[in-house]
Amino acid sequence: MSTTTKPGVRPLRESKDGKVTLDGSVAELDGSDPMVIQNPKGFVHHHSYGGLAPFFHGLAAGKLLGTRNPNPDAPDQRIWLPPRVYCPDTWQKMEWVEAPTVGRIYTHSTVLYPGAPFRASIPCPLISVEIEGVCTKLMSYLSEGKPEIGMRIKAVFNTTNPTHTILDLSWIPV
Amino acid sequence: MIRFKQGNLRIPRFGRPVYVVAAGMTDFRKRYPEKATEELGVEAVRMAAEENDLKVSPDELRGMVNFCVYSQFADHFGDQLLAEARMHDALGFDPIGNIGVKTGGATGGSSVLAGAMAVASGYASCVPVIGWERMDEVGTREGNAYIASAACKNFESELGWVYASYYALMAQRYLHEYQVPRATLAKIAVKNHTYARSSPFAQAALKITEEDVLKSDFVSDPLSFLDCCLMSTGAACLFLADEETAFKITDHPVRLTAMAAGSHTLRTADRRDMKILLLPNETPDTYKNMKHEWPSFSSFLAARMAAYLAYNAAGVKDPVEEFDILETHDAFTISDIQTYEDIGLRPYGRGREFIESGDAYYEGRLPTNLSGGLLGTMHSVGATGIFQISEILWQMQGKWAKYHAEPKMWERFGKTKPADFRNLQVKNPKRGCAVSHAGTGSHVTVAILDKV
Repeated sequence: MSTTTKPGVRPLRESKDGKVTLDGSVAELDGSDPMVIQNPKGFVHHHSYGGLAPFFHGLAAGKLLGTRNPNPDAPDQRIWLPPRVYCPDTWQKMEWVEAPTVGRIYTHSTVLYPGAPFRASIPCPLISVEIEGVCTKLMSYLSEGKPEIGMRIKAVFNTTNPTHTILDLSWIPV
Repeated sequence: MIRFKQGNLRIPRFGRPVYVVAAGMTDFRKRYPEKATEELGVEAVRMAAEENDLKVSPDELRGMVNFCVYSQFADHFGDQLLAEARMHDALGFDPIGNIGVKTGGATGGSSVLAGAMAVASGYASCVPVIGWERMDEVGTREGNAYIASAACKNFESELGWVYASYYALMAQRYLHEYQVPRATLAKIAVKNHTYARSSPFAQAALKITEEDVLKSDFVSDPLSFLDCCLMSTGAACLFLADEETAFKITDHPVRLTAMAAGSHTLRTADRRDMKILLLPNETPDTYKNMKHEWPSFSSFLAARMAAYLAYNAAGVKDPVEEFDILETHDAFTISDIQTYEDIGLRPYGRGREFIESGDAYYEGRLPTNLSGGLLGTMHSVGATGIFQISEILWQMQGKWAKYHAEPKMWERFGKTKPADFRNLQVKNPKRGCAVSHAGTGSHVTVAILDKV
């Protein structure tokens, strides 16, 4: 029988003497008229990046990896960043390439009231990054400095204690 | 898709006419623990059945239903998978078939489209479309995280866990390209909150000035709290029917002449430049001096696509001239201006003129969001697109005052009709339009309704 201590997963308990017993935990009350009970959430999702995993491994290794369609007949042969495993124009398999690590701020907005799970400090300037040869405008953040449209920036990588999320990539003014 | 081929732009047509015959809704609140979700749904349906001056009794109406569509955006919020089955059971519609529809913020519009398709195809003759969102089981920051789960979780959600920021990136770029003063954005917030003061259903009937909006704290610059829509709990319902059934139910159905859907990439980042898809009131000359890329971050291709299809299906040549009433998805002040352009109220880059000219007001050429919209009245996501068409139905039936002006409507929701209440019934509206919108423009529907 499992004695797991995973968040949100109560250990399995066997009934004794043929009687079913409760484990003593309760749904806490906010109020009783109407009755409002608390249902905490905390299950762990084991989310796979699938074929995009090289991008996140790349961040941990200090590399910015995108993908492009190598087929000479593809209508768009520029780099995709975020990368795509398959080309949305042709459904053909893409190839991994290193993307330039310098770009310009296309637009920005400083987050002051983030949602609950946000890992970074505030104010946090979000930016959309325009990079030569890349057909998309990657969303990221400026970890130093004050953002301005058109500002030249370069990528920095959080390789010391990677979060294994897109937050491992940020940008600073050149 | 940046290049269209022949089949991609086929104009959608209903196989037979579709009518809207009745509507109902609850009021909308930030927190609504007094009522369980099914109670809200039943109350919206009861209002549709009992208070729309129908020629049939609620029991007879129930006897005409042969398919149902349920509209709820996020299972996370209500914390109940298959909530559609609970609602269907609460309404006593088993064993009639039903479906749930989910397309983010456009869930309401898409649900009406699904119901219309059922009627138009002959699959069904009478379809209630019932929408709700229970957004009050979690706090505001947790709620924003749930909503941000409708951004790309690999590449966007971690960046702020708040949708307002993803819109704010678009807003900053739009303001940079077209130099729109924030005071113009503030006019939209003031307008819609002011109209919400005349709605007993409204969650935030704030008495505010442009100054208040400009001084309001930023959530994510350039968007302040008062530039952003509400997070609401409540329900809304419409009944759709074919022609024969519609006229058995009411002498005053409104025709849903055309409805169409468009889409664009979930990630704003992935929007590549393309040639502008022109509406019937535009020519290549309209954009010969256009300096900026399209659709970029300043325009919603999904809204343009839906408008292109719906306008061509309904024969709309000039929306400002032909529409008498409009409901837009004013999730943010800036996205409202972007939408004005996408649906052709002004050419790209000149959306501000629609509000600055006075066109968008009750007194103007195309009164917009007299309901109070998402900024002033509600954004109970699954209910929103249904709420918009409900308000248009009542306006087109000339019955707006029955649902908004009667003191008993205010008393029903524990409110007192305010001294600054205004009668917002538009004089004899003949053609209306409603825009339902998701994500940073991932899904948009455009509905065109005609008086018969």
